[in-house]
Amino acid sequence: MNIQDKNHSRLLRRAFLSQYAGSLGGLALAHLLQQGDRAAQAQEISQKVIRGKAKSVICLFQHGGPSQMDLFDPKPELTKWNGKPYPGGNLEVHFDKQMGNVLGSPFGFQKHGQCGMELCELLPYTAKIVDDITMVRSMTTESVDHESALRLIHTGRFLAGMPVMGSWVVYALGTENANLPAYVVLGDPGGLPVDGERNWSSGWLPAVHQGTMFRSGKSPVLHLETPQGVIEPARRNQLKFVEELNRRFLNQHPESTELAARIENFETAAKMQTTVPEILDLSTETESTRELYGLNRPETKEYGTRCLLARRLVEQGVRFVQIFLNGQPWDTHSKNAESLKGLCAKTDQPSAALVQDLKQRGLLDSTIVLWTGEFGRLPVSQGTDGRDHNRHAFSLWIAGGGFRQGYTHGATDEFGYKSVENIVTVHDLQATLLESLGIDHRQLTYPHDGRDASLTDAEVTKARVIRELLL
Amino acid sequence: MFAFSAMHLVHAADDAPNYDGQIAPLLKAHCVKCHGPAKKEGMLNLSTSIGIAHGGEDGAVVVPHDLEASRMWQQVQSDEMPPESPLPDEQKKLLQRWILSGAPGLSPAPTNNETDGHWAFRPLNDIAVPKAHHSDGLINEIDSFIQAALESRNLSANSEANKQTLIRRLSLDVTGLPPTSSEIENFLSDTSSAAYSGIVDHFLASPQFGVRFGKGWLDAVGYADSNGYFNADSDRPLAYRYRDYVVRSINQDKPFDRFIIEQIAGDEVARFVPGQAITPETIELLEATHFLRNGQDGSGESDGNPDEVRADRYYALESVMQNTSSALLGLTVQCAKCHDHKFEPITQNDYYRWQAIFYPTFHIEKWVKPNDRFVYAPLREEQEHWERHKQIEQAIVAEMRSELADWVKTHRVGGEVLFEDRFDLDSARVADQWSATAPEDDSPGGSVVVKLDSESLPAAKLNDGKLLVIEGGTQGDSWLSTKTKFDWTPDKLGEAIQVTFDLVDNKLPDGQAAQRIGYFIALHDFDDNSPISGGNLLIDGNPTAGTSVHLDYPGPDSRSLGTLGTTGYTPGQNYGVRVTNIDNEKYRIEQLVNSFPDEKPIEVKKEDLPDGGFGFEYCCGRSFIVDNVLIERIESSPKEDSTAEFKKRQKELANALKRQKEQAEKRPGKIAWGGDMAPELPVVHLLARGNYSDRAEIVEPGTFSALKDPSHPFDLTERHSSLQSSGRRLAWAKWVTRRDSKAAALLARVQVNRLWQHYFGRGIVTTPDNFGISGAPPSHPELLDWLASELIRNDWSMKAIHRKILLSATYRRSGQLHDETYKIDPNNRLLWRFTPRRLDAEAIRDQMLAVSGELRFTLDGPYVPTKRLESGEVVAAEDSVASHRRSLYLNQKRTQVVSFLNIFDAPSIVFNSVRRNTSTMSLQSLALLNSDFAVKRSKAAASRLQAETLDVHNRLKLAFQLFYCREPSDNELTESARFLDEQTKHYSESPEALDHAWQELLQAMMASSEFLYVQ
Repeated sequence: MNIQDKNHSRLLRRAFLSQYAGSLGGLALAHLLQQGDRAAQAQEISQKVIRGKAKSVICLFQHGGPSQMDLFDPKPELTKWNGKPYPGGNLEVHFDKQMGNVLGSPFGFQKHGQCGMELCELLPYTAKIVDDITMVRSMTTESVDHESALRLIHTGRFLAGMPVMGSWVVYALGTENANLPAYVVLGDPGGLPVDGERNWSSGWLPAVHQGTMFRSGKSPVLHLETPQGVIEPARRNQLKFVEELNRRFLNQHPESTELAARIENFETAAKMQTTVPEILDLSTETESTRELYGLNRPETKEYGTRCLLARRLVEQGVRFVQIFLNGQPWDTHSKNAESLKGLCAKTDQPSAALVQDLKQRGLLDSTIVLWTGEFGRLPVSQGTDGRDHNRHAFSLWIAGGGFRQGYTHGATDEFGYKSVENIVTVHDLQATLLESLGIDHRQLTYPHDGRDASLTDAEVTKARVIRELLL
Repeated sequence: MFAFSAMHLVHAADDAPNYDGQIAPLLKAHCVKCHGPAKKEGMLNLSTSIGIAHGGEDGAVVVPHDLEASRMWQQVQSDEMPPESPLPDEQKKLLQRWILSGAPGLSPAPTNNETDGHWAFRPLNDIAVPKAHHSDGLINEIDSFIQAALESRNLSANSEANKQTLIRRLSLDVTGLPPTSSEIENFLSDTSSAAYSGIVDHFLASPQFGVRFGKGWLDAVGYADSNGYFNADSDRPLAYRYRDYVVRSINQDKPFDRFIIEQIAGDEVARFVPGQAITPETIELLEATHFLRNGQDGSGESDGNPDEVRADRYYALESVMQNTSSALLGLTVQCAKCHDHKFEPITQNDYYRWQAIFYPTFHIEKWVKPNDRFVYAPLREEQEHWERHKQIEQAIVAEMRSELADWVKTHRVGGEVLFEDRFDLDSARVADQWSATAPEDDSPGGSVVVKLDSESLPAAKLNDGKLLVIEGGTQGDSWLSTKTKFDWTPDKLGEAIQVTFDLVDNKLPDGQAAQRIGYFIALHDFDDNSPISGGNLLIDGNPTAGTSVHLDYPGPDSRSLGTLGTTGYTPGQNYGVRVTNIDNEKYRIEQLVNSFPDEKPIEVKKEDLPDGGFGFEYCCGRSFIVDNVLIERIESSPKEDSTAEFKKRQKELANALKRQKEQAEKRPGKIAWGGDMAPELPVVHLLARGNYSDRAEIVEPGTFSALKDPSHPFDLTERHSSLQSSGRRLAWAKWVTRRDSKAAALLARVQVNRLWQHYFGRGIVTTPDNFGISGAPPSHPELLDWLASELIRNDWSMKAIHRKILLSATYRRSGQLHDETYKIDPNNRLLWRFTPRRLDAEAIRDQMLAVSGELRFTLDGPYVPTKRLESGEVVAAEDSVASHRRSLYLNQKRTQVVSFLNIFDAPSIVFNSVRRNTSTMSLQSLALLNSDFAVKRSKAAASRLQAETLDVHNRLKLAFQLFYCREPSDNELTESARFLDEQTKHYSESPEALDHAWQELLQAMMASSEFLYVQ
């Protein structure tokens, strides 16, 4: 860009802002600026988020509903009553015909770290980071249906088609690196998670805010590869020609920020073609880093690679990264214990490594790492060795970004069926995450369906920021 | 949000603040949440002018001209109200000025005067067309309204755009396609004054007009080709008939009131009874009712507990309500499901009264799953034609079957009979030849043993001369074996042993079809304690594919021997296996179908086939019926092999069966419709807090109180006596379209506003999905009402409104920028010029296909399938030319939006979509540069140009005409030619360098803003 262009762009931006000044809330600014000057945008954003500790989020999403009483929430009463009819009254059961007796956890729990947080024996690596995380044992949600519960935790509503939290966050805060998508999804090479692309859909927020899935393989982003047979100098010349065409058109409509942004988008697109493969190239990482994430072991290699990529993306200014699993592996309707062993072997080390790595690089303060599923599981068996869905209690952990360290929040009843102490709803979780990003959840709105819609819809859901979770 | 500043512009000339435009939005933003139709704190409702005039429990809140006496002012001024965040000074001043200037727009007293209440809920009054001071260049009434607003700001409008710009704008706006070369030439050469109106009429008469505006309507009513709701997003294979109905109706310019009545109550208009004689009119009316089914409906895949199933059903019912209220009336009703609407005058009672209108179609207790909601309504001749052909095919199959059976009898290879059971004895005699224990085994097969002499399961029973293999549930494997053991490894080369049986049925008369038909040979040992290994060879017959074979089954050391044969096991055939000695060590096992070998034999070792019994497998809910078990020894391979002949005959039969099945499936007249699904009238309850299991009082069908109109009541008594359905939908459809009513006024406003939005990029009301109190007020209220009245005056002819807009000078303006005017109205709220506007996703894709010469103009028919590639991209596969049809005809699957369209903001339909975002992002650039779709179109465009003319300059001129509808400038010609040269040099090593250069030039033009925008 030459100086003249820069001036033009700045002028455009000013004209653009003056058009909207006074009629828009501050938070939509980032969204509107998508069409304007990116550098200025980043500046506006950084001023906005001063209030919040966190700048970015990495969500390690655990599809299927991890079993809280086998992983994070020890329940000696279950062991005591193991194999006997459940003594605690009625249970809400999804597959009501297959309900069995109380099922104690076969795994041992131990205290770890200075904080003495109790964790199950399947999580030796998470045990090393307990002093960095907040454990919430009193989560609740509103549905025992996977898809509905997924939508609740991602979008705050059980209906399909609403924007997910990642989209809200990038709508509010934009990106810090125009050469990368602001919201990146690292999908499982094995396939899509349950509910597919809806897990990162921008719903009725502008499509630009939807999660961009980085696929494994040569073309992590759609259309990232130059078509076969096109040679580089020819492509450069073609881009120059497109720009000439577009500049002539812009000259006829010099007031249009949209047309100016369109020219810029071609530059960004070309840059993305080189930056994205660079990010995905892990050869620059040291051997010790690779080992930390378990890249040297077959059971952790794949998940570890994606956790490491998440760190690289956040380093490059990506705002929201989400890692998903294929299908819904934590949905342990049968062979609960056996399945948990395999899942922990795959995810425990890389998840903990991500927190450690961010910390040693000084990025943990500004990055939230969230480990959660969509609901929990029941204290009784389904069939002989499985556990059914439970919306009344589940556990999750959060690290970094202004969340407390070595802190355990809330509690369930003696059987782990219901959250009873310091209950945190999925809406509270969303409000608190936004808060830590410097966003007031009641003010982050977008006009939809005749109203100013928000992620938390606090009027209806009574969502509130859980201050105790924050430093 | 934007409308507020617009109102500033429109009304700033008038010193007194305007109620609808300025005061109402202010109160809405700051006061109505507590003092509104829902909460009414202090008995005060500030959402309507009546409410303000009425005051609260402490009396008047606004007294015109008197600040002292106006409690509202007192409280606002002292920052007592709003309690949390005081009003900014500017807004306080606005309120002050409004009260001081007499509070215009405030109703003097609560009356039933028709000018009261929210602007959108008022009936249409006669609107006088304003007289402009400068009437030069004004063409019709629209221009007068626009001019009046411009003059109030002392602004003047642009003159008409040039003809090239106009024809491209018109063609893309009206048909979604660029004009053809001949359309351009004809228009440019026609210098008569009627040229423009002629081309407008030409485009409005094009069938592609219906495709363009059909899409708009289908989005508004939430059309999709899939059910949504669950992950499965299952198919709606017949929805397309409704899509075609919509396109046809729009092309016919069907009066809009009729169009609405047909969609909501077509079945009731036709007084349809399943089985009645069908006319083409009935068919059309039934197709129209698919409107009711456009919402997401996951009830076909529901599982879980009864509460979850009920919620899934209610969702479908609520979706139709939401789509209808949004598309027709611009109202959002769903908030009133749980409580009275907080911002709108819609009560919870209103909601459930209205729900009672649609409830008979979605009767929660008498539910019909979405894919079962169809009816056969064929024309008589279609039906007769089909039945005739079905009978012919059936007769052919029957004859071929009996021929084949006779042929098999005389040609099958048999031998010495070692064992035979025709099961003709009574049931007590099963044990004559059969046992639960394999020959010489020390314990019976299975932990729960097959009973030969009792009713308890698992059981082997003889009945009607057949053997019933009755499984007993999930109790693990068990078996029924012959008492005799056989030598399964004949000693001589070529010698064979075979077992065959008739599969009479794959299920018991009242049971589920078995997933497998399993049987054993060499059966000798259940619990693996025999000194002899191997044996227990399970042939696990698959109904539709090859058969899995397991050795030493069951038990942990069981192993798979792969797949045998390719033909599935279907009832009415004879099956079995033949074991042949091929080299004394190895034995070939062939599957026998009707006594002839199937494809894919397998080989086993001699030691794997110890002597043992033949038997049937009992497992996991697989019950079946067999007859005529026959075990034979064959001395040597038959001399004359009839297998080839058998296969030929069998294939002929299979083909005939396939034809018969296809013919049966072609049953004509299948329509996915939306009639009342149960004859009984339902009792509909208000649901407390919207909770499906919390039924409160019973409600009667009715409609929104805010639109209540004493002279046009909602009337159920008109119901025709011959009607079999409730008549509720018909009554409501008539109510909402009744001329001069408040409802029809709102309906017309919403529709003309959407047209306006289509042509000017922004509606007169910028919230097309919300005409309620919380929506944006109109920028040109009189124009909106005039257009709505004009629609009804023209007997609801939508084309009349299209024409009115397109002929106006306002639509024809150039996009030129005037600095002074731009400073005052940069967003062109007053329409002083034409704002360049990016095309929507469908128009971009369709235009690319049009200029490449590949577009298929076909209307109607099932959707063109799309698929998700490994890369994640969703495409219409290019292997079929159908993929070159217009975007409307691609599968509108909710969870699988074609990526190219999605990138340009085509929505995934959740409920409905009446307004799209226009995003500008790098992913669009990547798609234009690198997608297979863009590359293919530019290649095709290059060959098209090559075919038309040879000279570079003329070819470039043609390209500019096709892509931009204009002549290139000299500079552009030079630049383009130079680009071609440069690219040719880059590709000089390729024999197709020039082709490549042309393709890249045209791709660049397709990626350019001028191509993607109308101006």
